[in-house]
Amino acid sequence: MPQVTPLQAQAPWVEVSTTPEDWAAADPTLLATMLGQMQLIRAFEELVLQLAREGLVHGPAHSSIGQEGGAVGSVLALGPSDGVNGTHRGHHQFLAKAIAYVAPTLDLQALVTEELREVLRKTLAEILGLAEGFGKGRGGSMHLQWMEAGALGTNAIVGGGVPLAAGNAWAQKHAGTQDVTVTYFGDGASNIGSVLESMNLTAAWDLPLCFFIENNLYAVSTHVAEVTGDHRLSARGPGFGIPAWRVDGMDPLAVYLASQEAVGHMRAGKGPTVVEAEVYRYFHQNGPFPGSAFGYRSKEEEAAWRERDPISRVEREMVARGLLDEEAVAAVRKQAVDAMAEVAAAMIEADPEGKPGTRRIKPDAWPDPAFVDVGVRGDGSELEGLRAEEQETFSGELVEKRFIDVVAGVMHRRMETDPSVVVLGEDVHRLAGGTNGATKGLKDAFPERILGTPISENAFAGLGGGMALDGRFKPVVEFMYPDFLWVAADQIFNQVAKARHMFGGENKVPFVLRSKVATGTGYGSQHSMDPAGIYATAPGLRIVAPATPFDYVGLMNAALALEDPVVVLEHVDLYASTGPAPAEDYDYIIELGKAAVRRQGEDLTILTYLSMVAHSLEAVEQTGVDAEVVDLRWLDRASVDWDTIGESIRKTNNVLVVEQGAIGTSYGGWLSDEIQRRFFDWLDQPVQRVHGGEASPSISKVLERAAHARTEEVVAGIQRVVEGFGG
Amino acid sequence: MADVATIIRLPEVMANATEAVIASWVAAEGSEVSVGDVLAEIETEKAVVEMNAEEAGVLAKHLVPAGSLVQVGAPVALLLSSADESYELAALLGEEAAQAQEPPAGSAPQPTAAVEAPAAAGEQAEGPAEGARSRVFASPIARKLAREAGVPVERLQGSGPGGRIVRRDVERYLAEAPAPSATPSRPAPPVTAAAPAGAQAELEPLSPMRRAIARRLTESKQQVPHFYLVAEPRVDALLAARAQANADPSRRKLSVNDFVLKAVAAAFRAVPEANVAWSEEGIRRFSGVDVAVAVATEGGGLLTPVVRGVDRLSVTEVGAAVADLAARAREGRLRQDELEGGTTTVSNLGMFGTREFSAILNPPQATILAVGAAVPSPVVVDGRLEVGTTMRCTLSADHRAVDGALAARWLAAFVEAVENPVVALL
Repeated sequence: MPQVTPLQAQAPWVEVSTTPEDWAAADPTLLATMLGQMQLIRAFEELVLQLAREGLVHGPAHSSIGQEGGAVGSVLALGPSDGVNGTHRGHHQFLAKAIAYVAPTLDLQALVTEELREVLRKTLAEILGLAEGFGKGRGGSMHLQWMEAGALGTNAIVGGGVPLAAGNAWAQKHAGTQDVTVTYFGDGASNIGSVLESMNLTAAWDLPLCFFIENNLYAVSTHVAEVTGDHRLSARGPGFGIPAWRVDGMDPLAVYLASQEAVGHMRAGKGPTVVEAEVYRYFHQNGPFPGSAFGYRSKEEEAAWRERDPISRVEREMVARGLLDEEAVAAVRKQAVDAMAEVAAAMIEADPEGKPGTRRIKPDAWPDPAFVDVGVRGDGSELEGLRAEEQETFSGELVEKRFIDVVAGVMHRRMETDPSVVVLGEDVHRLAGGTNGATKGLKDAFPERILGTPISENAFAGLGGGMALDGRFKPVVEFMYPDFLWVAADQIFNQVAKARHMFGGENKVPFVLRSKVATGTGYGSQHSMDPAGIYATAPGLRIVAPATPFDYVGLMNAALALEDPVVVLEHVDLYASTGPAPAEDYDYIIELGKAAVRRQGEDLTILTYLSMVAHSLEAVEQTGVDAEVVDLRWLDRASVDWDTIGESIRKTNNVLVVEQGAIGTSYGGWLSDEIQRRFFDWLDQPVQRVHGGEASPSISKVLERAAHARTEEVVAGIQRVVEGFGG
Repeated sequence: MADVATIIRLPEVMANATEAVIASWVAAEGSEVSVGDVLAEIETEKAVVEMNAEEAGVLAKHLVPAGSLVQVGAPVALLLSSADESYELAALLGEEAAQAQEPPAGSAPQPTAAVEAPAAAGEQAEGPAEGARSRVFASPIARKLAREAGVPVERLQGSGPGGRIVRRDVERYLAEAPAPSATPSRPAPPVTAAAPAGAQAELEPLSPMRRAIARRLTESKQQVPHFYLVAEPRVDALLAARAQANADPSRRKLSVNDFVLKAVAAAFRAVPEANVAWSEEGIRRFSGVDVAVAVATEGGGLLTPVVRGVDRLSVTEVGAAVADLAARAREGRLRQDELEGGTTTVSNLGMFGTREFSAILNPPQATILAVGAAVPSPVVVDGRLEVGTTMRCTLSADHRAVDGALAARWLAAFVEAVENPVVALL
């Protein structure tokens, strides 16, 4: 018989409930504010459902009616500089934070101040998709953001906002504050990787993040007990070393008291917390009908939960303490309902073309359709005033350096001059500069800002996104291999790349993603892609692809100075190469959107980037064709250098787009499309392309070589073009 | 009578023209036409000519609107035997197209076969199958260059994949062909839309004639080695002879230019070595003297109708011929053959008071004479200064065919003829 010793998780897990003494001792102002907030939120959401019924809400209307106690109880434990974010069901969380920001306490005699009315109006406008909204109508119900108030943005990807909240918490901690972040999500999101990865990461780094689980028992129609082993979701906290509180979410005071404890724990620098509040939404996932109408639960169950309504609870307790009478209770509700009717009247009117009684959005409240693509990215003006250099005209000293040393060198220089730069990724802190030496010497010089992460690309990429949105730090996230972008795809494409546009076009997202490109290293099908074409599908991302050490310095500096997310592609073939690089000067940029002509030619324009620049030059020498080789350097749609490309095409009339990777994920497709539309009359043959095979490269050396393009394939491509010359 | 329905096609209105503009429709849709009736006016590079009905019937439909540039042989109108006939235009046109495309027996597979061939990812696209379709395959830049040079792509031989006409084919054609042009006849619109600062300008579309003038004269000035000789003959005797002739009211009035033309003919008779034209094959020597006369037309055009056999005509006949040609040139009613040939050209701006000018050669001609105004001038006779009437004439010559001394001898013969009109008229 083995000896069995029971083990205890290191972190505690407790349940918190209130006693009559707690209610008797509660500050009357706290209770009044609690009630006022909940009444405002409920009146607000009732109006939203009414408008949804009238067909005036485009898209889903995820109401939280019934759940108000969780959000309000927890927000009242926070201060104005604390942050919150949430999920698709986030009206109540957003409103609680926004209301608390403009009115930390509420007066039940005069509930709705002018400032508060404006918050309600801008929130409703956003949900209806109108110009006055917090996100100018872009985000709607599921993307409510008011950074000033610490409302960091609600999220339509279940669990998608959690890594971003972790980034916010990182920034709060490392800026030396005691501020905390609360990320709200539900029972459904408790099962998704982003959340669990973030629990692990924040626990490892002691970040002040509260994982606030609004367990309303149903993920759409699926009961929590159906999809997890222990439906008491706070049980997960101790598994990650995070203390957890379980509380009845229909008791706002209990939520408040539990949250106070959690916040105290975080402000003390002890790391993250989990608070699970069991709540109930009276309506279905979406829209104005109860869940029972869809058959996944009973009317009796709903009635039983309504008996425990958080608003009624606070009203009862306040009346019992003599703080309110029945008349005053009714007056609070009336003030909230009247305020919402007034707010609605600002943007909704009788429909002159509809049946009597039908209403419509006031025509002038809509955004201008011309606004559709405004603010996808910044205008690049943040680079104005920075010194741009080109190798040919560089007046400083140039010496021969290894590419990889320049990678570490320029980062060292920037971290020296800019204390906001933070590097994070797998093994970046060990192995003498990560797997390739790209962060060599940095951990010793900047121990607090070189962060070796757990193997959680989605969490640490999102954490970087949260840091960038906060703005106090500039994250440099490293992907050890390019194919890992798929693991982190939600954070890179749904969150970071869309964060500026989706919330109205004004968020700055100073985020740098370094991605290795490792074609030819024998790592096989899941490590060998050229990701440029995939990144190029996201309009919010800028992409740079340095082919020389000199350019690496300037492009990395530009990437760090830009307030857009920038992907910096680094090819391992180049790491070992040497080339002229500045001896001392690591402080210049390469001009935004400027390609480099590496070889002048008359007969053919080769458009290429990264390691294929050298392969193309080699192929041109071998064939003797008078080709012009353009190193694109800036690859994204907004930054690509059409002036240089156009000038070359008008001269040569023949184009060969050269890249290394497989055709499916290739970069050249969109470029060729754009070329034939911009320069059709200047082409003497179809845009020709060099790229890899169809499948991802295999491990076998022979098959791997056959799967991607190098000099030989460029030679063949040039010969194809030459056949097209005729003559 | 017409067949039940006949497609009328653009006739080949002039040699070497592959396209022309339907300047206007004379016969309206629905009108009855007889053989020889004018259906439309057609503007080519050089002239406006009439398109006549070859069959009687009802002109049922204009297939192209007035102002359209149409390829020779393209359908332009539908003629019915009577207004009552119904017709299926698409079927009529399709029938013709089908006939035109009928493959020779035993040749090409069904046209669908090429389309069905599956293309693997990354595979090179198929080039156009030769002869499978009637359209011409040319790369965009080749079409653009050909259009700018005024060369129909149909005239080019494609050397690219599948016989595609590519840039190099156009360039080779332009380098080799006798009628290439270095100057775009229709420059591409500027890439930037910004208007230049300064005076406002309106863009007037180029007529075929304007294009032809631009192309031919640019080509001439750039490619033909011009040189110029100036002479200033006295014309007192010529003016006296003219006055004498014009004194008879029953006769048609003669112009100074009519005498000049006769003098030109006389000079060529005296110096036949100058009556030549350059060609790559050799120097062409003419036996007669056909003089083209530059005529300004309404709307800023320039035509050069030819007076044939000036050396054999009397001055009166020359005058009548010039008057007729000039009048019809101004009306755009010249026949194509009246615009062709010519061994030399006379351009006279004397009537505008122009004292002296030099003219651009009209290829392949080797000479052109620019004639200024006859004005009173100081002349020296036997060492004494007196007032005479002189007329400055500038001969432009193509040095490839005519050397300086030869041109000088010709000009001396011309001066001799002008100053002694009776000799010239003999």
